[in-house]
Amino acid sequence: MQNKLSFHQSSASLEIIGLPDYSNNENKDQISIISQWKLTIVDKPLIEGKIEHLGPIMDAFYIYSNLLIKNDIPIYESKLIDIRAENLHLHNIVLKSSRPNVKPLVLKIGNSLLSDTINCFDQLNESPKVRIKKTDILNNFPKKLRFGLNKKIKFFNFFIPPFIAICSLILFSSSLIYFYSPFENIENKEQINQK
Amino acid sequence: MLETIDLNGIQSFYALSNRLNLNNVLPNKVTIWKLRNNNPLRKSYVTNNIKLNEFDALIRITVEMSKYLYPYIREILKSKEDLEENSVIWNDFNKRFIELIKERFNIDSMRVKKLLNQAENDEIIIKSLLILSFCISNQGYQKLKNLLYDF
Repeated sequence: MQNKLSFHQSSASLEIIGLPDYSNNENKDQISIISQWKLTIVDKPLIEGKIEHLGPIMDAFYIYSNLLIKNDIPIYESKLIDIRAENLHLHNIVLKSSRPNVKPLVLKIGNSLLSDTINCFDQLNESPKVRIKKTDILNNFPKKLRFGLNKKIKFFNFFIPPFIAICSLILFSSSLIYFYSPFENIENKEQINQK
Repeated sequence: MLETIDLNGIQSFYALSNRLNLNNVLPNKVTIWKLRNNNPLRKSYVTNNIKLNEFDALIRITVEMSKYLYPYIREILKSKEDLEENSVIWNDFNKRFIELIKERFNIDSMRVKKLLNQAENDEIIIKSLLILSFCISNQGYQKLKNLLYDF
C-alpha cells in the first residue's frame, strides 16, 4: 500500500506517492521512495513525470523565480524544462518529454499561479514526512554569488590603488632622469669657482 | 506595500510582534514608527542605525503578515494578469498605494516620483508583491533575509 501526500496552495496542488524506507526504520506514513508525483494547476494540463524529473523541475522554478525578482533576465533553459517571461505577468513553460516523438507540453501561467506553485514546492521541501534531496537554491545561490563577488571586489580595491600609485611614481621619477645631468652641474660649479 | 493591503497595517504589525514574542525588540508602536523612519524616501526620515535584532524582527513580522495576506496578494497579482476582466482590484490597490506614498513619502525625490507614476510603478509593485508571495513558507524568514541581503 503506497502513501500519498498532497500539498495545496490556492490553485495549485502537488501530490507525492511513494513508500517509506523500512530498512531505515522509518514510520509507515513516511515517503522516502517516491514512485510518482503530480502537479495540478487549475485550468492547466496535469504535469507528472519520473521521480528524477521532480528535482530539476523544482530547481527550474526556484531559479526562474529568483531571476524574476532580482531584475535579471528571467529565462531558464534546460533539457527538461524551459521557462521564460512573456511579459511582466505571464510566464511560458515548456516541459520536454524524455520519450522520443512526444511533443513538449506548453503552459502559460500568470504570477498568481507561479507563486502558488512555488509555495507547493516549499511545502514539499519543508515537509518532515517526505525525504527528498532538499532544494536549497534560493537560500544558497545568491549568497554565495554575492560573497564571491564581494571578496573579489575587496581584493582589487585593496591592492590596485597602491599598485597604480607605485607604478606612476616610478614612471614619473624615471622621466626626470633625462632632465637631470650631474656632470653638467659639476662643470657649472667649477666654472663659478674659477671666476 | 503591506500597509496598502491591510488598512490597519500598523496595528496588525504591532499585534504580530506581540504574538511572535518580539516585545523586547519592538516594545511599543513608537519603536516601530522610529524604525520605519529609517527609510530615506520618507518625509520623516531620520538616520537611526537599525540593529541586527531589529532587522530580524522586521523580517519575521513581514513574513507573518505576508502569510495571512497571501490570498489578497494573490488576488491583486491575478487582477493585473487579466485587466480586461478584473481591473477593479488592481486599480483600487494602485490608487491606495499612490495615496499612501503621497501622504508619507518625500514627493520631491526622483525615486518617489517614479513610484507615483502609474506607468512606471507597475514593475516595482509586482516584483514587491511577488517577493512577499514567495516568502510565506516556514522558511520564508530565511528566504526574505537572503533576498534583502542580496539587493
